[in-house]
Amino acid sequence: MSIFIYGLTQSVTLMLYGYGFSLVYGISGIANFAHGGFYVLGGYITWCIINLLGLSQFTSAVLTVLIMGFLGFVFYWGILLRIRGIILSELVITFVAGIAILEFLNWKGLYGFYYNLLPFVEGDITVGEVSVDYQRLIVLCSGAVLAGLMWLFVHHTKIGLSFRGIAQEERTALSLGIESDWVGSLSMALGSALAAVAAILILPLGVLEANVGYEVLIYAVTVAIVGGLESTPGMVLASFIIGFGQILVAEFIGSSWMIIVPLATIVVILALRPSGLFGKFKELEERV
Amino acid sequence: MKKGVMVFIAAAFFAGLILCVPLAPAWSADPIVVGIPTALNSDYGRDSVNAVKLAVKEINDKGGVNVGGQKRPIKLIISDTRDMEPTTPAHDALMAVEKMILQDKPHAILVGFARSEVFMAGMELIAKHKIPYLGSYAQTHMFQQQFAKDPEKYKYIFRVCGYNVIAAKAATDAIDVLRKEHGLKRAFFITQDTLLSKGFVGVLKKHCENTGWQTVGTENIASDAADFSAVLSKVKSSKAQITVVFWDVAQGGTIMLKQWTSMKVPSLMVGFVIGACSPRGWDFMGKNINYIIQTEAPIGSGIPLKKLPKTRAFVEKFNKAYGKPHGQWLTSASYESVYILAGAIERAGSLDPAKLVKEIEKTDYAGVIGRIRFDKNHQVVYGDDPKETAVCLAYQWLNGKMVPIYPPAVAEGKVVLPPWMK
Repeated sequence: MSIFIYGLTQSVTLMLYGYGFSLVYGISGIANFAHGGFYVLGGYITWCIINLLGLSQFTSAVLTVLIMGFLGFVFYWGILLRIRGIILSELVITFVAGIAILEFLNWKGLYGFYYNLLPFVEGDITVGEVSVDYQRLIVLCSGAVLAGLMWLFVHHTKIGLSFRGIAQEERTALSLGIESDWVGSLSMALGSALAAVAAILILPLGVLEANVGYEVLIYAVTVAIVGGLESTPGMVLASFIIGFGQILVAEFIGSSWMIIVPLATIVVILALRPSGLFGKFKELEERV
Repeated sequence: MKKGVMVFIAAAFFAGLILCVPLAPAWSADPIVVGIPTALNSDYGRDSVNAVKLAVKEINDKGGVNVGGQKRPIKLIISDTRDMEPTTPAHDALMAVEKMILQDKPHAILVGFARSEVFMAGMELIAKHKIPYLGSYAQTHMFQQQFAKDPEKYKYIFRVCGYNVIAAKAATDAIDVLRKEHGLKRAFFITQDTLLSKGFVGVLKKHCENTGWQTVGTENIASDAADFSAVLSKVKSSKAQITVVFWDVAQGGTIMLKQWTSMKVPSLMVGFVIGACSPRGWDFMGKNINYIIQTEAPIGSGIPLKKLPKTRAFVEKFNKAYGKPHGQWLTSASYESVYILAGAIERAGSLDPAKLVKEIEKTDYAGVIGRIRFDKNHQVVYGDDPKETAVCLAYQWLNGKMVPIYPPAVAEGKVVLPPWMK
């Protein structure tokens, strides 16, 4: 039972890490290496709103998501627009932006165990013989709700359909009047907001530290690569493979081997399916 | 009359000049340059730098250090090695120290490398540049082993802080009490994948195995782990009554403590976990750390001991200047390292490294951490009696208070079993 519950929690955590990254790449083709920075920044903004402005946790969470969405939007129009399409420049710019955010927060003193976001609900529940705290259950439920909402958004809203159009074939979408920069900037806004949502949900389980951002980025990139860079369902499946893989390895082999699981999964999956689980890029390239 | 007014104005002018002379000494002598290369973005780095600054201010306020008849101030050069950040390679930290040595030409280095692995590699660097080094951060027991291989080569390196084996020994008595007085006998061991952690937990494991404890599990976990559910499930299912653990990375330590509480693991934690091992621990972790048994290495780093006035004075001074220390280790050792160096310089009457080494070796005085003297491997001698040696202690968190429980010379209470274990 504990393997199921904690495997599920770990998987949903990885999914939340990877959602924003995968979405931005899938739609705009930009590998947003600032994702880890946005995650920690989202947590820090929430902490500041709660502790400095004295607003409630829920209000702070909503405000943070809006602020981060706006920052992502501005980041696209202010910086990424100028280098759009130059893949190396996109990588460098997003990577530098991520490091700049994390180093700034490090310099501000965001290390140690002093910055904490409190759980939304204190306490725990026993499932079978396993104690699970409410915050983990909130993470699980939020992950499921978020996945559902995102599916509805991209399949049943005008903006969501534009996202899919650009993701499937940018030139054709352009010819149908879908403006790719608007879609790109909105996807960056949504990706940044999703990074903030992940931070608000997951950080109460641990600590708000600048270094966490590097780990989040590594996991986000890992699940995206394994799932197929442009495929959100692939990313979700990859999260579950790696999440449960880590818990099983810790249980039956040893905790020190947990760190190997994501790396080993990348090697194995890419050797068998170079585009990732649900990715198509390599297949298309081979066909051409 | 007019002449009298002129004389009065002139006298007032000169009096004013004299009064305007700054109260602080106007240093004409060259300063003694002391380098502090350490991990500034860490609790212990931050505390250590503050402790060194405190000692330097005290010394400079008294006129500086007497070097062959001339009082000279201490000037600090501080640089960041970042070696407590998991993403920093050892090479970067070594480069930071070498840059300081070549650029600022310090007469001595204090505090030093943070991570044990980096310190071990850094010993070669210090030996190459022949600069007196009084370390008070990295705490691996392997330092003495390496030193003993070539004492002449490594003679410039000294260590003031305790080391993992000594700190762990402070917790052995608590473990003995738990077995003898409360009948506990099942122990689980968790190590972080670092030299320091393995050394610390290794000592306690060996002690437990030699004193009738049953080892019901051992887990070694990567330092950047962010989920402990699997290992804590094992602790729970093994029915371990105590869990011996050492964890000094903030993210993992905090998650471990929170998961410990949320998973209701019915086992008493003993050892060192960042977040619990700090005078600020209760403010941030609250009930998550109640009853946990931790170690302070050396004494004076956070707990003002009733039986030792010097620790009370130092903790009071430190708290007044900087607020409570963030960590429970090293602060007092870093403070004393300044006085050890100053004493050696005054006795040597020179800043010559070879002469300084000889004088540092002769150090013997009663400081905040107990009696301070070095053994043949340039490690400050640690033991249980502050009149004879420097001391590390074990304490237990009891409803927001850190209660010293070992050694007897400083203890203020006995181990208390949590109500959920009775």
